[in-house]
Amino acid sequence: MREPRAVRTVLTASLKRRAWAEAVYCLLSFVPALVGFVLIAVVAVALGSVLTLTVLGAVPGILFLVAGLALARGLGTLQRWLAQRLIGERVEEPPRPEARRGLVAGVEARLRDTGAWRAVAYVLAKLPLATLGLYAVLWWVIGALNVIAPLRWMAGERNPRLLSPFPGGGQPPLHSLGATFAATALGCAVLLIAPWLTRGAVAGDRRLVRALLGPGALAKRVRDLEETRALAVDDAAERLRRLERDLHDGAQVRLAALAMSLDMVREQLDDRDRPELRHLVETARDNATETLTELRDLSRGLHPPALDGGLADALTTLAARAALPVEVSVDAPNRPTPAIESLAYYCAAELLANVIKHSGARGCGIELSTGDGTLRLRVRDDGRGGAHIAEGGGLAGLVQRARTVDGELTLHSPDGGPTTVKVRLPLHA
Amino acid sequence: MRVVIAEDAAVLRELLSQMLTVRGHEVAASVADADALRAAVTEHRPDVAVVDIRMPPTRTDDGLRAAIDIRREHPATGVLLFSQYVETTYATRLLAQGSAGVGYLLKERVANVAEFTDALGRVAAGGTALDPEVVTQLAGAGRHTEELRALTDRERNVLTLMAEGRSNAAIAQQLHVSAGTVEKHVAAIFAKLDLPVSEDHNRRVLAVIRMLRQGPRG
Repeated sequence: MREPRAVRTVLTASLKRRAWAEAVYCLLSFVPALVGFVLIAVVAVALGSVLTLTVLGAVPGILFLVAGLALARGLGTLQRWLAQRLIGERVEEPPRPEARRGLVAGVEARLRDTGAWRAVAYVLAKLPLATLGLYAVLWWVIGALNVIAPLRWMAGERNPRLLSPFPGGGQPPLHSLGATFAATALGCAVLLIAPWLTRGAVAGDRRLVRALLGPGALAKRVRDLEETRALAVDDAAERLRRLERDLHDGAQVRLAALAMSLDMVREQLDDRDRPELRHLVETARDNATETLTELRDLSRGLHPPALDGGLADALTTLAARAALPVEVSVDAPNRPTPAIESLAYYCAAELLANVIKHSGARGCGIELSTGDGTLRLRVRDDGRGGAHIAEGGGLAGLVQRARTVDGELTLHSPDGGPTTVKVRLPLHA
Repeated sequence: MRVVIAEDAAVLRELLSQMLTVRGHEVAASVADADALRAAVTEHRPDVAVVDIRMPPTRTDDGLRAAIDIRREHPATGVLLFSQYVETTYATRLLAQGSAGVGYLLKERVANVAEFTDALGRVAAGGTALDPEVVTQLAGAGRHTEELRALTDRERNVLTLMAEGRSNAAIAQQLHVSAGTVEKHVAAIFAKLDLPVSEDHNRRVLAVIRMLRQGPRG
């Protein structure tokens, strides 16, 4: 039962949309492959020649290199687009070099751009493959020309030639209409083979595109991990916030209502009549109130409500509750994501608690600013200093928490003080 | 007194309404969000509005914003905010326009119905009712300024209780001292804070504002 299907596949291959798209791909992608190869060869030659001139040649040499890499990246983008549109090979763009300030740093980042270097490798490896692809396309053309040999005869072409796809295969002229039908048969045979040739060339190119034009396995893995980690961090923050909201709208409201009802009952009870009952109700009410207080502290730990109004509000509230004077200065024009805000808040709260517990400081300052995609928190005190990041300690915990979002915490605390702790976090996880 | 209640939790809203009605007050409206509160105050012109801070639509500080608007647009209506949290910035924003006719209590204070109703009455009459927790925080934030540092601990206690909106007699009772002693303390506070000689009630409010203004600016 399988045989007829296999036969049909072979017979109809050249009529399939996919085969046509692959042939078009082979044809179109040859152009950038050739142009790219030539340009990169030119860059290489130019590079070689300027470097042989003098040491001063290094400057234009680097510029040639940078230009060549940019060119390769551009060609890579074009090839990715062609591959996606025509052969359905979807490959992500490799990570771009970080934008850095300063000419030297910028040039260095470009020279270290592995994505561009791999695009160069692609352009170099692509040309032989593209040539093969073009040859496969030639099979299509020759097959088609042979198939229409009788039409060419009838259109008045004298002695059309039989075309062979093999180099040096000869081109015997056809002397009769009957012979042209033999050419048609041969053309059909060529057309049966042609799709498999283009498919082979495309398959090779696919591997090359995946290997050299994508982000690379490691870079891709890193990107995946970064994305999923950001999701996890945001999700955790959102869950805590929802938990706090649920407590606020549910248990806390009911407890308040319960305490209120109990107090209304207490008012109804006459002290002379049933003192023990009144006492019992009072105790119940007080228990409800105390539970409410505990619940409030708990949910403040989950998500401080002042954070809804941003870090400035939350830090001001934090400072007001502190047992020593705290100067707060917040300059945060760019608002971070809720997860980062909450992380920054807990860093500030923990650091402030440390100052109060250990430093013996008389005053403390909290500064927070956002800019350049970074949140900077600085907590300083005029205490006795000598703090260090002990394993398993509160500071080590903060270092860990900052690291979960690629942030960092640095401590400067000489003996005798003052102590400064700097926390740097990205604006989003 | 005529009261409007704004609280999004139905169970608490109804209980409050029931409690106030039983005590002979008129509950003109009880609503569940900030926009309905604004409309109800405009329509009923109540003596006082009990306002939950965290209400729809955004469930953050909608109640507070409505309260500030109400104090500005309807000065005859007092506003008692009540919330499960005390946030210094909320208190400072509320008190920025002055402390007359405003209150800010923790929600759990409804567990003492009599005191809660008293506080509501003070706010309706143009007085102040601040939760001890609010006062502690605000005083904490402002305690390091020169003027307040000049006060003795006892005087600071008295000032704190004044901020809660208590009368001299109530303060005396709370601190277990005579009314005369409290008067002496109050006079010392007025002197140290350099408050002009005027009506006693007015000076009390000024003293409280002086203390609260030292707090952080939101």
